[in-house]
Amino acid sequence: MAYIPDREPISAWTRIALAYRRHSGSYAYILHRISGIGLTVYLFIHILALSSLTKGKAEFMAEMKTFTTLPFKVMEWGLGLLVMFHAFNGIRIAVVDLGNGARYQKKLLAFVYVVGVAVVLGMFVLIFNAELFAR
Amino acid sequence: MEQVTTESADYLRTYSRSRRSGASSWMWQRITGLALVILTVGHYVLMHYNPVSGHDYDATGERLAMPIFKGLYLAFISIGMYHGLQGVYNVIRDFKLRPWLHLTIWGTILIAGIVFLGIRWNTMLTFDPQKP
Repeated sequence: MAYIPDREPISAWTRIALAYRRHSGSYAYILHRISGIGLTVYLFIHILALSSLTKGKAEFMAEMKTFTTLPFKVMEWGLGLLVMFHAFNGIRIAVVDLGNGARYQKKLLAFVYVVGVAVVLGMFVLIFNAELFAR
Repeated sequence: MEQVTTESADYLRTYSRSRRSGASSWMWQRITGLALVILTVGHYVLMHYNPVSGHDYDATGERLAMPIFKGLYLAFISIGMYHGLQGVYNVIRDFKLRPWLHLTIWGTILIAGIVFLGIRWNTMLTFDPQKP
């Protein structure tokens, strides 16, 4: 865990950020937090978007049609990236904390990245199926 | 490096006794996290195995007519919101902000989270599939 300054100027933050220990676990820690905040923001948007269920079929289906356009597909893939990293790394954290995973946390991290990349690439093919394979 | 010999049961025993230290929140973050992994797999299969029925108004109505489904999804969104808010709280707390700033930021996020959870519960409980 990095040292967190108590009421220090912005310049101190920059210095501390640059002095951060560049270990694979530190990066996983940062990525887990960024993806977690991203997913929480998405949860709010998701709730707001689906509240159209109460406005009737026409409005809901029109909204769902919008979500199948290319920009939304790209965002959906990005969401999948966040979900997969956060889920796989979350399992790693649980194994390290609750099991005996501290012994092999780096191997677990390699597993997180390899499986994560494979799944996210698989998602790319599934999401952009229509664009990739023209019929 | 020191040899790690602690067994899972020891952790459970330790953290079951430390409610006031915030360790119970730590434990719940693991429990809800693992529950969310399982629920998310189910959610992905349901929504994307057949993307058309997954995102269809009538199909959604049929699914939500089943109490078990409605219950699972209310649990899913509630657990997800709890996990998300607890996670954001952990991040904010680490920055050791001035008390008024901490209270303002965290208070806003917490109230927004509870309001949005209310919106979701309202959507699911008042959803009428017969509405054109």
